[in-house]
Amino acid sequence: MKTSFISSLGVADSVRTHLMRMQTEISKLEKEVVTGRVADTGLALGARTGQSVSLERDIDRLGGIITSNALVGARLSATQSGLKSLSDLAQQFLSTMTAAVAGAVDPEISKADAKTLVTTMTGVLNASLNGENIFAGVNTDVRPINDFFAAGSPAQAAMASAFQTHFGFAHTDPAAGAVDAAQITDFLNNVIEPMFMGADWTGAMNWSEATDETISARITLTETTQASVSANTDGVRQLAMAGAVVAFFLDGELGEIAQDAVIRFSASKVGQATVSIARVQAQAGIIEQRVAAASDRLQMQIDIFRGKVSDLVEIDPYEASTRVSNLLSQIETAYTLTSRLRQLSLVNYL
Amino acid sequence: MSLSSALSIAQSALLNTSRQTSVVSRNISESSNADYSRRSAVLVSSENGARVVSIVRATNDVLFRQGLSALSSYSAQATLRDGLNTLTVDVYGNEYSSSPALVLGQFQEALQTYSANPSSVNVAEAALEAAKQVVSVLNSGSDAIQAFRSDTDRSILGAVGELNSLLVDFKKANDEVVQGTNVGQDVNDALDRRDGILKKISEFLPVTAIRRSGNDLMLVTTSGATLFETVPREVTFTPAGGFAPGLDGNGIYVDGVPLAPGTGGNTSAGGKLAAMLQLRDDVANGMQAQLDEIARGLIASFTERGPNDALPPMAGLFVQNGTPIAPGPGPLVNGLAQLIAINPLFDFAQGGTPTLLRDGGANGAAYVVNASGGSGYADLLVSYARRMEEPMAFDTAAGIQATISLTDYSAETIGWFEGIRQDSARAAESRSALLSRTREALSNATGVNIDEEMTLMLDLEHTYQASARLLRTVDDMLASLLNAIR
Repeated sequence: MKTSFISSLGVADSVRTHLMRMQTEISKLEKEVVTGRVADTGLALGARTGQSVSLERDIDRLGGIITSNALVGARLSATQSGLKSLSDLAQQFLSTMTAAVAGAVDPEISKADAKTLVTTMTGVLNASLNGENIFAGVNTDVRPINDFFAAGSPAQAAMASAFQTHFGFAHTDPAAGAVDAAQITDFLNNVIEPMFMGADWTGAMNWSEATDETISARITLTETTQASVSANTDGVRQLAMAGAVVAFFLDGELGEIAQDAVIRFSASKVGQATVSIARVQAQAGIIEQRVAAASDRLQMQIDIFRGKVSDLVEIDPYEASTRVSNLLSQIETAYTLTSRLRQLSLVNYL
Repeated sequence: MSLSSALSIAQSALLNTSRQTSVVSRNISESSNADYSRRSAVLVSSENGARVVSIVRATNDVLFRQGLSALSSYSAQATLRDGLNTLTVDVYGNEYSSSPALVLGQFQEALQTYSANPSSVNVAEAALEAAKQVVSVLNSGSDAIQAFRSDTDRSILGAVGELNSLLVDFKKANDEVVQGTNVGQDVNDALDRRDGILKKISEFLPVTAIRRSGNDLMLVTTSGATLFETVPREVTFTPAGGFAPGLDGNGIYVDGVPLAPGTGGNTSAGGKLAAMLQLRDDVANGMQAQLDEIARGLIASFTERGPNDALPPMAGLFVQNGTPIAPGPGPLVNGLAQLIAINPLFDFAQGGTPTLLRDGGANGAAYVVNASGGSGYADLLVSYARRMEEPMAFDTAAGIQATISLTDYSAETIGWFEGIRQDSARAAESRSALLSRTREALSNATGVNIDEEMTLMLDLEHTYQASARLLRTVDDMLASLLNAIR
């Protein structure tokens, strides 16, 4: 008959299984203490693992958007500084023209100033950043503004032929001296202005190779904005027109009265250009601010996501190390117990 | 009564003691054998002193039965848990580093960088490289799943073979028990052996043992199929040559009755065979279906739709192995994750132009969206990035009922899988605890305690000494009697 309630195998086995369980636990805890995260995310979170993976991925993605926003921001601030230069140029030219209207300036000086204006303006608008021509609309790999003073410039040719067609003789023809103020003003308003403000700007005159369409940028996961200014904007066209008419038509046989009319026209266009450029500057500034705000928001979002991830997968290192030391002492007790149990056999007493 | 009868009683006492000692020593020698049940010699009093009539084996049928069912349920759960652990590393990589969710995120980042810098050829190629990475993760993920299924199929074949040979062994042990019982022999050793085999069998299948006359056992699986009745019934399985996504493999038949695969993370399967079926078909196919849905979502998100989305959608950056037709809004296309590829028209390495991604037009000039051809055009790139965030309908057959964005879906799939794995690991832990508990209880009920045997041995020693002393006393008495006569 069997009288005992415990078998020797049972005693040995139970100590062994407990030891093994504790050792598995300790290897898990060691990993947790070292990494500061749960040893196996999937086992710890189960169905919520998707959430933690998606949060960590979003942190990376939002970081990516912040980086690309920095790029957009750089483009916008380059655009701003370009626009600032244009507006300074316009101011300067406006003062020359105002003086010229009052008759205090030699036409040659006006002409030289106009030339400087057009050349400098071309330089400013052809600025590039990071290999992109920032004023080129989406056509970023071409320089947007062609040189007006280059030999065979289509813009000059177009203006010359417009004059020829309108008056029946070239502006370099001595007959041009007879053109009066009303005629030239009519010509400038109804022929030259539509050329600059219309399709000829990018077409027959080929002043600009830029596209009207500007670069769009995704600045948050849900927000998209236009993030560049095209050289085809009104202010640029008006400024170019103001400079070009003075530089081109004063370089001919026009009489003093007609030249005066050209200068008056130019002065009024520079005035308009200043206003238009200021408006574009304001728009670019608003976008710049929006991009910066978007990046700030994204950064905030990242911080919140980090907090959530940490709630999900990070462990309290103090708790973990306390548990490790507890387990260690438990295991030690188990070892002691095992050796005691081994000694505690009737065989030793017989 | 006479001196001679006293002598014969003492003699039989010596005999009993030596038989009992042999039982004790057997018990001690088998004390660490888990399959051994403690024996005890039963004494019966008779006219000529006590007599050992039989050697009795300690048994506890209830605990033994509990032990069997705990064993098969743990073995199923452990098989499922191990299989899931293998799958998660094979398909998702360490810490999900090669999960579709993560590479999709990297691709989105690359796309974002490209949209902020559309004129750069390097960035375009980086975006394409990231797209290739997504494709390769989907391809290799489904290859890993199908390889896992083939491996499991082979393991099932091996397990079925092992089970059949165990049944043959079981027949031998059972025959020995039945024959021995019929002729009244000591069949305890054969019983131990038979119980040991039964334990091994229940690792494969959950069995109920029905005891019949002559100590004969009949084995029935819990689903009712006969596994053993006088002779072993056959367990059959035909391995499949290869596996196609979405198709279940061959079943296991016990005596012609199909074995039902387990379901759920805390699996309903008892025994590792059903758990392996569950891994091979249910879990692996579910994972595959989700990869297929991600592939479909990708192809759909990157379809070309022409200016203002006016044209019928055609496959763009991602194609189904060269087919220009994009899969529609549903249903699940089995194996799409294996077939998804980068459209060669986009791939620089295959002579394509990555900028098609920016400008559109992989399906002819009508699909060009960047009409001016400007290299700073980012609208299409931005719209691709957006489409991956827009909710789309995914097939519920893939286990996740949802109209969510592709990005979220890819993360959900990890949640789905890890939910099962967590359930499974927890269940394995509790079932292992139950198993060791029943094992301990059974061992306590039927196992050997060496201390107990030692005290018994002391008793036996005393009995032996007393009997020997008795013999000598009787001998002395007889001697003095003889001396008196002389």
